Amino acid sequence: MSIVINSVSKAFGTFQALEDINLEINTGELVALLGPSGSGKTSLLRIIAGLESADQGSIFFDSENITGITAKERKVGFVFQHYALFRHMTVFDNIAYGLKVRPRKVRPGKKDIQNKVHELLELVKLKDLSNRYPAQLSGGQRQRVALARALAVEPKVLLLDEPFGALDAKVRKELRRWLRRLHDEFQISSIFVTHDQEEALDVADKIVVMNQGKIEQIGTPEEVYENPQTPFVYDFLGSVNLFKGRLNNGKLTQGNVNLEIPDWAGSDNMEAVGYARPHDISICRESAGEGTVPAIISHIHLVGPIVQIELVRKGTNEYLEAEIPKEKYRKLGLNVGEEVFIKPKQLKIFTPEDFII
Amino acid sequence: MRSISNKQHENERIQVMGLRKSKKTGFKKYSILPGFGLTMGYTMLYLSILVLLPLSMIIFYSSQMSWPEFWDTVLDPRVVASYKLSFGASLAAGVINMVFGVLLAWVLVRYSFPGKKIIDGLVDLPFALPTAVAGIALTTVYAPNGWVGSLLGFKVVFTPIGVVIALTFIGLPFVVRMVQPVLQSLEKEVEEASASLGASRFQTFRRIIFPEVLPAALAGFTLAFARSLGEYGSVVFISGNMPLKTEITPLLIMTKLEQYDYAGATAIAAVMLVTSFMLLFIINFIQWWTNRKFISH
Amino acid sequence: MGGNIPLGFTDTPLGSSREAADPKWVQWLLISIALTFLGLFLILPLVTVFVQAFEKGIAVYLEAITNPEALSAIKLTILVAMIAVPLNALFGIMAAWAITKFQFKGKNLLITLIDLPFAVSPVIAGLIFVLLFGSQGLFGKWLFANDIKIIFAVPGIVLATIFVTLPFIARELIPLMQAQGTSEEEASITLGAGGWKTFWYVTLPNIKWALLYGMILCNARAIGEFGAVSVVSGHIRGLTNTMPLHIEILYGEYQFAAAFAVASLMSLMAIFTLIIKSILEWHGKRQMSIENH
Repeated sequence: MSIVINSVSKAFGTFQALEDINLEINTGELVALLGPSGSGKTSLLRIIAGLESADQGSIFFDSENITGITAKERKVGFVFQHYALFRHMTVFDNIAYGLKVRPRKVRPGKKDIQNKVHELLELVKLKDLSNRYPAQLSGGQRQRVALARALAVEPKVLLLDEPFGALDAKVRKELRRWLRRLHDEFQISSIFVTHDQEEALDVADKIVVMNQGKIEQIGTPEEVYENPQTPFVYDFLGSVNLFKGRLNNGKLTQGNVNLEIPDWAGSDNMEAVGYARPHDISICRESAGEGTVPAIISHIHLVGPIVQIELVRKGTNEYLEAEIPKEKYRKLGLNVGEEVFIKPKQLKIFTPEDFII
Repeated sequence: MRSISNKQHENERIQVMGLRKSKKTGFKKYSILPGFGLTMGYTMLYLSILVLLPLSMIIFYSSQMSWPEFWDTVLDPRVVASYKLSFGASLAAGVINMVFGVLLAWVLVRYSFPGKKIIDGLVDLPFALPTAVAGIALTTVYAPNGWVGSLLGFKVVFTPIGVVIALTFIGLPFVVRMVQPVLQSLEKEVEEASASLGASRFQTFRRIIFPEVLPAALAGFTLAFARSLGEYGSVVFISGNMPLKTEITPLLIMTKLEQYDYAGATAIAAVMLVTSFMLLFIINFIQWWTNRKFISH
Repeated sequence: MGGNIPLGFTDTPLGSSREAADPKWVQWLLISIALTFLGLFLILPLVTVFVQAFEKGIAVYLEAITNPEALSAIKLTILVAMIAVPLNALFGIMAAWAITKFQFKGKNLLITLIDLPFAVSPVIAGLIFVLLFGSQGLFGKWLFANDIKIIFAVPGIVLATIFVTLPFIARELIPLMQAQGTSEEEASITLGAGGWKTFWYVTLPNIKWALLYGMILCNARAIGEFGAVSVVSGHIRGLTNTMPLHIEILYGEYQFAAAFAVASLMSLMAIFTLIIKSILEWHGKRQMSIENH
């Protein structure tokens, strides 16, 4: 089922949770709503589920306007952040609940419910625990019960609120791969809320980056990571090095450093900030004149195939971070305290207008 | 998390030290905190003199009676009639309080309306108002010429209904105060989950909220029931105390005492005490039973 | 319990949710039923007390609460409460310290024992002291020989009141001190404070609201106790009559206005108790929330 969100706004008292949100989600997509606390991502998810009503705007499932329809009738599967399992029911009864509460006419028979629940228990690998109560399960197991419960009603849309937020790192990684497979198997549209960029980049087909009630950028993980459209997205999706200066005729100038920015050849003396990811920073021993930035190595992290190098920029004392392959690091023979010259291979320029939100 | 692991550590340490120290301090585990001897000694002394010794008098005096004597006293028709009234009226009041107590708790937790804070505070009035005051006030309100009594087509005062009314007043706060925290701690998400799975509001109440509330309501009911069985002050004014009709069991004890029939009073008291202790046991069982399932460790 | 309790800030706004709310008409219907119930059982009786008290005018009212018998009943009631409440407060603190700061066998049994007076009918509470100290009681002969009067005298009233109100303070303190644990006291001891200083500077500030709360409840019950006191007092006017007993006598003599006048004083005390209780609850909650942050 495709989902269209049409200029949705929502305020809680004086707090503007969502402002004119427009979003389209195609059938079968796995979408991540990514943003910090208070960015409105959970509110948006709850409005899609019908748990909250929008102040303005409308929501379409396929081409049907469902804005005024209650959560009970929307037939979405919702997985709550802290699972919201029914604690007085066993795992089996939790999963069977959505089927048991159907009106008599469309309610499956006892046997059918049993089969369906066992099928789901198999799927979430909890077959042996069907008689346990939620309190007797681990966090990961509860999460899987919550998923099975949501899937039992065969929803066309699956919504997950911080699905892995309360789990420890190892279980998290396992479960998100598993969610990906599950999503592909069931061929449903899924939306999950997360504040963890790694999680979003790892699992989603499409990432919607949100900040302060607005959408900053929509795109594939590659697009939002490689080509962030706003400073916020750049910052939120990974480590970043900032090069402040004035932009003039395709050159970013600060002190006696002049960095070439070919994309901005026509620029005329404006303030600007260049953004570069650590892996886009190259390090050399020799100065290449004004195109390189002198810096002192302050720390070297040697774990893994990529070497992380922290530097302090000379003159401005700004903190910089670079990532280079281990071979390159060996070849250069770098040591803490040495002076080196760095050069951003790629700089994304943002001018003051981009910062005004 | 930190505090949990600290506690585990502490327990281990206490266990290790406890083994070493156990010979010296006996049944108590080692602790660096002082004052165990003083506080424990004082507690036991106070309880012994003021609770255990006096209560043992019931056993002491009952055991001096012969069995036939004892049975004749506690199975006397007038006494049996009082059991029936005390039990029946307490049960009726308990059920009334269970229904309205859950409703009151629901309204106080979920809805907002003017004066809610005051109403919430007022629920505890039966705990604070002397029972004698409640007794004469209820009698006046429900008397045939009273504010409510004059509107009713049947007699309330000096009938078993009057007893039920007094006991409803006395037991009113118990169910409300037991159910309120349960409703408060009920996560909103659980109800939303139920709705998003297609349940109607009524189904959500019946299948999700009610099972959560039931143990607390039952515990409140049992507390109110236990209190009602022994209640004296508020009932004697409204009941009229007619033998075989509106005499409650505590009143019979009083009557026997006034006739200097200590043995009779004690025998009836013994029956009441045994009943109360059984109720106490039931309350503990309900609490154990609900905790077993829902609370993880 | 621990492990999955949500800590800190989530961006789910609390409060109004579409699915957890009932339609307005359902709300008003339920509120109306609940308030009618409260009106019939609580509010009307309370209002009646004051209406009846002033039915024969202010002069009768004032006479009823200032005549010597009423005054002596008020004095005795206050005296009994002033003995019973502090004694039970001391006991509550001692018992809570022993139970919550140490691990020992039979702890649950001890807690049940403390709760026991709640399960005993007030009339039986009076009876047991008659069996102990009455003329036919265990110590009756000895007391008579030494000319000590307990039953049908003030000491009996005090004993019965202490029995009936014994659990109030302990059962407020025990759960609170259990939740607070022993780490603060242990820290204090390792920093060189003695037991008394630790209690005074560390424990007492942590439990003061709960202690006051328990004392308020204990006081209300001590003042209003009727059944137990009725058994042991002997109803000697001007000597062993407490306020509730005085009300009973006046009511029995059809002096309704006077009975309700004294009852109105007691109702005012009850309302006052409820107000203080609300304030203490507010303080207690605030203290808890400060500690949690």
